[in-house]
Amino acid sequence: MNMRNILKMAAAFLVLLTAGCSKEYLNPVPQTSLSDLSVFDNKDRIVAQVNGMYSAVKAGWYLGGRYQSVADMRGDNFIPLSNNAYVNFNTWNHLEISATMEVNDIWNQIYASVNTVNVFLDGLKSNWESGKLAGIISEEEYNQFTSEALTLRAMCYFDLTRLYAKPYIQGNGENLGVPLRVKAEKSAEGNDLARSTVAEVYAQVLSDLNAAEPLAIANYGSDDLNTTRIHKNTIIALKTRVLLTKCDWAGAVSESAKIVPASAPFVAPSGVPNALSTNWSAIWTNNTTKESIFSLPNTDINNGGGQSAITWYFSSESGESVYLVATSPVYAAMDPTDIRRSSMDVLVPGGSDPDQYFLTKYTHFTTLSDWCPVIRYAEILLSRAEALVRSGGSVTQEAVDLLNAVRTRAFPTGAFTLASFATPADFYSAVLQERNFEFLGEGMRSFDLMRLGLDIPAKEGLTMGNIGAIPASSAAYYWPIPSGELSLNKLCVP
Amino acid sequence: MKKILLIFSLLLLTCTYVMSQTVQITGTVTSSEDGLALPGVNVTVKGTTIGAITTAEGKYFLSAPAKAQTLVFSFIGFRTTEVPIGGRTKVDAVLTQDTYNVEEVVVVAYGTQQKRDVTGSVASVKGDAIRTVPVQSFDQALQGKAAGVSITLPNGVLNNPPVIRIRGYNSISGSSSPLIVVDGVPIASGNFGGTAAANALSDINPSDIASMDILKDASATALYGSRAANGVILITTKHGSGGKTKVTYDGYVGFTEPTHIFKVMDAAQYIEEKNAARVNYLGESAAKIVQLTDANGKPIDTNWADHIYHKGFQQNHTVTISGATPSTSYYLSVGYSDQQGMVKTNTFSRKNARLNIDHNVTSFLKIGANIGYTNGYSRSPQVGADYATAASARLAFVLPPVLPVYNNDGTLNIAGAGIGGQGEPFGNLGYPNPDVVLKENKFTTETDRLLTTLYATVTLFKGMELRTQYGIDNLTSEQMWYLSPINGDGQGSNGDAGASNRKFRRWNWSNTASYTKSIAETYNIGLLAGVEEQRTVDNSWSGEKYNVNDPFFKTYQGSWTNVYMGGGGMGENYYISYFGRASFNYSRKYFLEGSVRRDGFSGLSTGKKFGTFWGASAMWDLSKEEFISNAIGNIFSDMRLKASYGRVGNISAVGDFSSLFLYGSGLYATVPTLAFTQAGNADLKWETSDKYDAGISFSLFKDRIQTQLNYYYNNINGLVLSVPQSPSKGIPGSSIPANVGSMYNTGAEISITSFNIAKPNFSWTTTLNLSTLKNKVTALAPGVDEILGYTGGLEISNKTVVGQPVGGLYVVETRGVDPQTGRRIFVNKAGKEVEFYYENSGSARWQYKDESGVAPAITQSSDGKIMGSGIPKVFGGLDNNLTYKNLDFSINLTYAFGFDIYNGTKAGLRDQRWWNNSAEVAETYWKQPGDVTDIAKPFWGDNISNGHNSLPQSSLVEKGDYVKIRNISLGYVIRKLPSITGIESIRVYVQAFNLHTFTKYSGSDPEISSNGDSNVSPGVDRNSAPQARTYTLGVNINF
Repeated sequence: MNMRNILKMAAAFLVLLTAGCSKEYLNPVPQTSLSDLSVFDNKDRIVAQVNGMYSAVKAGWYLGGRYQSVADMRGDNFIPLSNNAYVNFNTWNHLEISATMEVNDIWNQIYASVNTVNVFLDGLKSNWESGKLAGIISEEEYNQFTSEALTLRAMCYFDLTRLYAKPYIQGNGENLGVPLRVKAEKSAEGNDLARSTVAEVYAQVLSDLNAAEPLAIANYGSDDLNTTRIHKNTIIALKTRVLLTKCDWAGAVSESAKIVPASAPFVAPSGVPNALSTNWSAIWTNNTTKESIFSLPNTDINNGGGQSAITWYFSSESGESVYLVATSPVYAAMDPTDIRRSSMDVLVPGGSDPDQYFLTKYTHFTTLSDWCPVIRYAEILLSRAEALVRSGGSVTQEAVDLLNAVRTRAFPTGAFTLASFATPADFYSAVLQERNFEFLGEGMRSFDLMRLGLDIPAKEGLTMGNIGAIPASSAAYYWPIPSGELSLNKLCVP
Repeated sequence: MKKILLIFSLLLLTCTYVMSQTVQITGTVTSSEDGLALPGVNVTVKGTTIGAITTAEGKYFLSAPAKAQTLVFSFIGFRTTEVPIGGRTKVDAVLTQDTYNVEEVVVVAYGTQQKRDVTGSVASVKGDAIRTVPVQSFDQALQGKAAGVSITLPNGVLNNPPVIRIRGYNSISGSSSPLIVVDGVPIASGNFGGTAAANALSDINPSDIASMDILKDASATALYGSRAANGVILITTKHGSGGKTKVTYDGYVGFTEPTHIFKVMDAAQYIEEKNAARVNYLGESAAKIVQLTDANGKPIDTNWADHIYHKGFQQNHTVTISGATPSTSYYLSVGYSDQQGMVKTNTFSRKNARLNIDHNVTSFLKIGANIGYTNGYSRSPQVGADYATAASARLAFVLPPVLPVYNNDGTLNIAGAGIGGQGEPFGNLGYPNPDVVLKENKFTTETDRLLTTLYATVTLFKGMELRTQYGIDNLTSEQMWYLSPINGDGQGSNGDAGASNRKFRRWNWSNTASYTKSIAETYNIGLLAGVEEQRTVDNSWSGEKYNVNDPFFKTYQGSWTNVYMGGGGMGENYYISYFGRASFNYSRKYFLEGSVRRDGFSGLSTGKKFGTFWGASAMWDLSKEEFISNAIGNIFSDMRLKASYGRVGNISAVGDFSSLFLYGSGLYATVPTLAFTQAGNADLKWETSDKYDAGISFSLFKDRIQTQLNYYYNNINGLVLSVPQSPSKGIPGSSIPANVGSMYNTGAEISITSFNIAKPNFSWTTTLNLSTLKNKVTALAPGVDEILGYTGGLEISNKTVVGQPVGGLYVVETRGVDPQTGRRIFVNKAGKEVEFYYENSGSARWQYKDESGVAPAITQSSDGKIMGSGIPKVFGGLDNNLTYKNLDFSINLTYAFGFDIYNGTKAGLRDQRWWNNSAEVAETYWKQPGDVTDIAKPFWGDNISNGHNSLPQSSLVEKGDYVKIRNISLGYVIRKLPSITGIESIRVYVQAFNLHTFTKYSGSDPEISSNGDSNVSPGVDRNSAPQARTYTLGVNINF
């Protein structure tokens, strides 16, 4: 090998040595996610972010199923088929502790929704104010998106405080509520934040809703959007629920008046013409009747998922669902001709002892594509009826009419008259009972008891054992602050 | 760096190369032991690259420069011998065997070194030590083989990747598993399967491995820079040698079975105990569990373990063809392995082929390739370890013995998704009938792997070599699963089938220049410089369908009504690295070595992509000092002092895009969404590991006993922690990664090899290694004083806090069962004893033991504390190998001491729902005041008193100390067969793997890891499958 060849080879080798370092390879761009810098680039992405907030709220661990199911499981109606802790067994038997899975995971998901909203609000506002969105979205759209975000945030905080804190009625909201985070969280700063009082949380919720109402769109012009996106009447309905839960009867009366006329037919006079569906069963076959003020849509490929989906708990098909028996108080109290009872399903009559009755509100078990109801017009009618009597101190025909509107739709021969109620207390019981009949499996029962400071009654669990009553004074009456929060947020007390 | 390389190369080019006159030399090489000719001996002219290899008759022929003085004869297994030429043209040599392996060559980063010249800390294991062990991958067989290396098999399910830790836990969020380098290419490791596990390392047939060299300290690992902190395992595959073509066949057949099956209550015990629990809770009338009878009128008493486990048949075959001509060496192997596991329908098969070829094109140019292709196929039912109801390890003990597999009319006993309750008062259980899920459900993983290295080396002149090497690691993994609509998890959706595909693609191109120079045999210098690029693209997709249109269809490709949203991911990363090493020794007495590597990594944020890592070491060979050898040389044949220090990195906790703020897209029913999904950290960088190592090695009695003692201290800083964020902040994933933590591992390692007897007809070798480990976390994130470790995503089983080892066992203290009340005694954070009354409701369930009334509920978060660590303080192995004439015997023990296990399985085995319990529950549960027992008074439904996943208790924390007979084999070699057979020798052997475990641990096995490779939740046993014991009968034939 001569010198020339050595030189050639050495030169070739040096080329090899220095060939490397591709700039492109060293700075890869993710192919399946977007950078935060590009998400306000066009209207489609902004709308996608709006839908992203709804999607967060719709997650299985929040309104995709878990929130409603734990609210029902804490109540006194249902018996679980399974003692699997993963499907809320500890919720049903009131063994929830700080470390219980659902206590943590529901909290986590609601707060994840809050931050999704806050991050969006922050970005929307700063991009709008910097003028970057000029020509991309109109001011009306800017307002509308803002109102949707504020409403979702209000809903999140309302749902947090009614599950994780003493009800407003106890101490007039002076008890500790939940930490209030209203700024976008994107960095490692700020783990510690003390709990606000229940009253402070309600103030934030109402302030968000009041701010959102004038900004909101009145009507999307589409049944789908009018059910799955927030409009003016959604905000009013939600505010009615919040005020009723706050025991602000007069407030609930005046708020509900915006969407409930003084006399039948009860149809919202402005915005989306929300009204009762004439056929009760139709609500469960048609997701977008005018009665469904706000529901979260599911499909076979986009739903709460497996054991968190709402259908999982209430359908007869899962093996881990909940059922009623003939002696269940709510079942026994319903008239056999009441469609809300007669529509229930016995999987195999006589197949178990006693017969197990399942709701048929959610029937798409294989696809889990049943929509999750959040607010129905029926609720507003019953809330208004109750608020009217509680604020006025006496039973009125208007209140009876509102109650009957919901009741006789399902139980045509069950109409009340003024004479049915000797005292306002009789009316309160009737309306509470009616709410229990109407909203079984919609996450209403335990919150209805709690907002009034009523004990959670004992329940018969058959094979699962009997569960004692939870007095309103008990620590088990509401959920503890989750262990995950306590371990990291040093200002948050149990 | 490029400039340095340029100058370096130019300097070398100024050297000259002079050809001169030659003489022809021939000769014969024989063995001193038997005088027989030695083929394949490497003969070189000292100080040149001129050489030859002996023929089958032991003869060689070479042309040496006229002024050549000495020939060097070297051959594996023999001491290298130098013979002066002395003007002769016929130079014979007699080689003596290297009985004590003192001349072994070890593989180091980008090269090889004589074992005794290695200044860093390296442990070597020869391929022969693991070749016949009946496992799926070499890492499973490395247990107890090397000091400082801890290997844990999580369970006996086939092809599960073991947990490998070299000198402790070196990361918290990232990986603590070592870098695996095969023939110079860093390859993918870990699990590429799912329910059917697919250890990426099982793609290498253990029979093809020549050596495994484990780099442990900073000096040895520094050239792997940002991937070096967890240690490096260098795998070298076999190459051909010797003149004649060698053909071998290795094969074994055998069977495998579980090492342990829980003794659970039989039907009579179940009925008695559960009815007692029902009566205690629901009153006398609730004793409704009855003895059912089968169609023949016999009482039903199902032993569910019989329906889960069996004896699995295994077979394994490897044929190799290897040899070498003076210019070319080759090694060709094909292998086939077909193994059934101890769990029914758990199987593993592997088909592989390998061709390693090296060819001297000219005297200065050598090229070669190592090409390996493997097809692996694993099938496994869901086994655990976790809470899955279909997990077969759990079904083996959880199901009531009073239930039948089949109804009396011959149909399957099923009700919906679960097994039928047969009218028993516990209703439908939600747990499937194992006969359906094991037989009908199917989870498979099939992998195709191409592992290739191509290289060329050019010897520019004596001592100066350039090498370019291109490596490919392509791994495609396809998972398929099918859930039957009949019963189990697929019942609700009327069947479910899915498929996923992962394509891992990596290329690695390294170019190195090395130079060695010896000046007057006194000043020995070695230099290495190199540049390396590596790009990895790792993409996957998946699809899932459900609601079958005809139960005939059992695959994803069949006809289904509904589909789920598909999934998948795309990742890519790239390294560009520059590195160099300089080593120097003076008369092989004083050694110095330094290495440095600069790594650029694509996953870091712009401007922060590069970091520099280095290591340095020194060694002093005391035995070469006359004043020492005169004094103690008759005892000590060798004595060296070593020390090293350096800083290497661990990039594994930094993802491909961890530094970025990202939005993910999804759906809101039918419309697209976009939402904040990743809070990135632009300041993220690698974790650093400052490694200190000091050691002494010495040999006694003419190398008969060889000992190494090492002390190590790894100080890890900048641990990337997913700094947990208060859940109320709503940060995606509730965490943000940051370099915040620190931790150290320290310990001592002893390894001793003793050639107790080394006679031709009788040899006995003992190898002992013992390692100690102390792991301590010294800092977590500011404001974060704990990291919780989860089991099965459901149970908080571990907690990492400053001042303790990573992943301490996090439980509430309990003090047995109160003999007076039969209640479990819990200890609250104030130290007061509290008892649990299941039958009470609400807050009245917790009562002070001193009868002072209602106590606050015991919770893990307020009353839990760390009560144990799953990390062994002492571990190692003890091997004894004996040969007597044609017999050989070996026994390998492994052991671990000083660690605890949270036996969550036991909580389930004592649960007072309908779950079946261990027989001890029926035998010892509390019945009346005065009973001393650990089983609380049973109340139907009580899942708290004896342990629960939301309230782990200290009664379930047990010592895990164990000694295992890991492997034992007995062989017989038949030689001198008639030459017409072409067979040189046959070895027949019997072998038992995992024969026995000596332990006081009450679970299935103390060698456990329910949480796989997780750093923050070690030492947890939650419904784990047992280990597998395997018996094999094997044969090795050399043609």
